Amino acid sequence: MAKEALSCKKCVLDSRTPGISINADTGLCQFCENFTPLSEEKKEEYRIRMDALLKSPPKGGKYDVIFALSGGVDSSYTLYRLKKEYPHLTILAVQFDNGFISETALENAQKFCDLTKSTYLRLSLDQQALRDTFSKAARSMNAYPGTAKYRASDICNTCISIIKQKIIELAITTNAPFIVFAFSPGQTDAPFVTLTKPFVGWMRKIFDGNLRAMGVAERDAYLIDARLVQSGSPEPEITIIHPFLIWDYDKPEFKKECIKHGWIDPDLKDHNSSNCLLNAFAIKNHLDKYHIHSYAYDLAALVRQGCMQRDDAIKKLNVDVSDPSIQEVQRELNL
Amino acid sequence: MDETREDILNFLKTQGFLNEKKILQENDSLSETGVIDSITLLQLIDFLESKYNIEIPVEMITPENFDTLSGISHSVMQLKQGDVVSDGKGSSLV
Repeated sequence: MAKEALSCKKCVLDSRTPGISINADTGLCQFCENFTPLSEEKKEEYRIRMDALLKSPPKGGKYDVIFALSGGVDSSYTLYRLKKEYPHLTILAVQFDNGFISETALENAQKFCDLTKSTYLRLSLDQQALRDTFSKAARSMNAYPGTAKYRASDICNTCISIIKQKIIELAITTNAPFIVFAFSPGQTDAPFVTLTKPFVGWMRKIFDGNLRAMGVAERDAYLIDARLVQSGSPEPEITIIHPFLIWDYDKPEFKKECIKHGWIDPDLKDHNSSNCLLNAFAIKNHLDKYHIHSYAYDLAALVRQGCMQRDDAIKKLNVDVSDPSIQEVQRELNL
Repeated sequence: MDETREDILNFLKTQGFLNEKKILQENDSLSETGVIDSITLLQLIDFLESKYNIEIPVEMITPENFDTLSGISHSVMQLKQGDVVSDGKGSSLV
């Protein structure tokens, strides 16, 4: 007889998810059992460091910050707040056009660039090749390591990795000292990441391996220009900053603030994305392949850290299989 | 060295980086065997810094030092003994 599924009494993970064990005595998953909240002192130390970096950015190129802007709530709010707190920053906001960005997200991104006087760049790659790549990601099994599978779907991991590679490339080629990503506290643990050439080269190599495992033959367009990590090329002087590990994370408040400044809710059926039409399909695809909801770890971490109510997170984990975007994306990816 | 190796393996297992059944040899590449990627590498670095109260200089984060169990154990040992001189840039994490 199959064992009954146990749910963590603190977060949203349960024993049906591969790799999750619930301690029958404490009722907690292994992540909640080992969780230590970030101390106020540490948070203050991070805030001081972010201030020190962003208040007097080293002058090198045209931009101080290369900013990854999806047009969703988190990144729109981060761009707005970054510019509000550090008005002197020159920002290049990059929106990656993966071919499935909602019209509203495109509009929101441009609106928030106008609002913050940031330069807007719509980064486009060969759309047919991208569709083939997402299709390969959807069909792939185990192209990403176990942990990455918990963090995001194979499709999202592919898309996010392309964005990271191209943003780092842009920062190196424009001599920008900072990159800012609006990752939630559930999506990353490190508030600052200093990039060195060996590390960037290693990131490139790892993603190249992931793409190869998916059967993507033409990979160079998705990777950091190899010349930038060759021996003899200059050492990058770049720090990646994740402000949501320093600021309090309160998505409903961010949304209210964004709407006040003209952000439009795209009203997608998908509970987990306000910008990408691929997302609902990507979640379903991941569930079908691995029995892992690709937002479960992110949401569990937010609940654990006190950034979200458990009931709200559970609602977000409901997959609406009647969402027409799922079938539409499936058709577009020839699956 | 063995103790460090065990700590690393335990961390990889409890965090779900490593399947309980997977056997990792000393010189297996963690990235090529699908155990870590760039983000999980940062989590591992964070863990090592907290666990051993060390600061890992950014210039030290290379595949040679952090892509195998033996490389990591050796790097941690060097740092614990104070054999590494940083260029002052500090750790990749705070």
